Amino acid sequence: MKVLVEIEAAIPALRRYARALMRDRDRADDLVQDCLERAVASRHLWRGDGPVQAWLFRILINRYRDLQRRSPLPGHLVAIEDLVSEPAQCGGQEGALALREVHEAIARLPVDQREALLIVALEGRSFEEAASLLDIPKGTLMSRLARARATLRVLTGRGTGAEVVPGPSRGRR
Amino acid sequence: MPDRPALTETELLDYAQDVLPPEDRAALEARLAEDPAARATLAEWQRQDGAIRALYDPVAQEAVPDRLTDILRRAAAEDAGAEPPRRSGRRGLIAATLAALALGAGGGWLARDLATPSAAAQSLAARAMGAYATYVVEVAHPVEVPASEAEHLTTWMSRRLGHEIRPPDFAAAGFSLMGGRIVPSDQGAAALFMYDNAEGQRITLYIAPQGAGQETAFQFAQEGTTQSFFWMDRDLSYAVVGSVPRDLLRRIALEAYDQLI
Repeated sequence: MKVLVEIEAAIPALRRYARALMRDRDRADDLVQDCLERAVASRHLWRGDGPVQAWLFRILINRYRDLQRRSPLPGHLVAIEDLVSEPAQCGGQEGALALREVHEAIARLPVDQREALLIVALEGRSFEEAASLLDIPKGTLMSRLARARATLRVLTGRGTGAEVVPGPSRGRR
Repeated sequence: MPDRPALTETELLDYAQDVLPPEDRAALEARLAEDPAARATLAEWQRQDGAIRALYDPVAQEAVPDRLTDILRRAAAEDAGAEPPRRSGRRGLIAATLAALALGAGGGWLARDLATPSAAAQSLAARAMGAYATYVVEVAHPVEVPASEAEHLTTWMSRRLGHEIRPPDFAAAGFSLMGGRIVPSDQGAAALFMYDNAEGQRITLYIAPQGAGQETAFQFAQEGTTQSFFWMDRDLSYAVVGSVPRDLLRRIALEAYDQLI
């Protein structure tokens, strides 16, 4: 059955996105497993409207959000004092970002910002695709993305993130 | 050079994503040349993207664990061994149930009291939302009796609640029955049916006996992203719970109301 082949082809991307969301390898693969089981169970219901991979990402994201509702992990909310007390290592602006630092910082992003940043920056989705996968308006996606990037910049000690004027668009808090 | 407005986040995001038409892009680049802060921001974003890809792109190159590919092997074997289960048989059964339930569905319920929920109604909503929160996240055993054992499910639930209980069909709203389980209520055993759609969103329908004999209009409760429509009707009380858009949940609740009368 063709849909099974397409599901299998999507596994590497699903694992990549899940790993970046969850960090822990086993928990990320648990999420992918859950997603695959659900997809396979409803493969006969799938009407073929749109790419299989997008359908799988929607399942994965919905399951991820269910898990977050159950047990929002400590550290996923950024405390204000953490934001301002971060040592300002602005000297190394030109240098590469320390991967470890970015890894830690992503884990500390609020869930909605993390989802948005990773679907665009890691999965390379267009704004329209990303908004559709996350089931949010495009304006909301862009404002989450901007906030994620600004927060990440502060968390990695590379500036206040406030040099740029917030957009005139709607959806910005 | 006259002062130009500083670049906005939205403009920078569009630029970084390379989605602007050539003219807009050129105009933006001209402004970017005079805006060192925006240039620094763009450069930082590129470094962020580079770091994110360096961190996680390798995951997509890893060998996929057997436990994941096994799911597809099993499904392929099933498909090879037998024709996929046809939906029409089940549909027919549901249609017959629907016809039987359609009798007596009266209008006018919307006009019923819209007052503050009674204590019993509030307790109903709290119980139903608690059951949803407990079981909707369950991976291994979301339901006790799966939808494939529909007859058993109906008999068992009806016996435990002392009323004939049949899960309604929410196919029109894109949800299909996963199965059900017995959960506690203020008045003894209650039924919890779980449904999901093709995208893995889950909703539950909670049905509990009620002693008060109250009848209420639809009432609405929300806790975080979890929402519920609930109502009481003669001997039973009902609550539809989910984290889906409110209009969709309302539609499902109306379906349930129409089918359960």
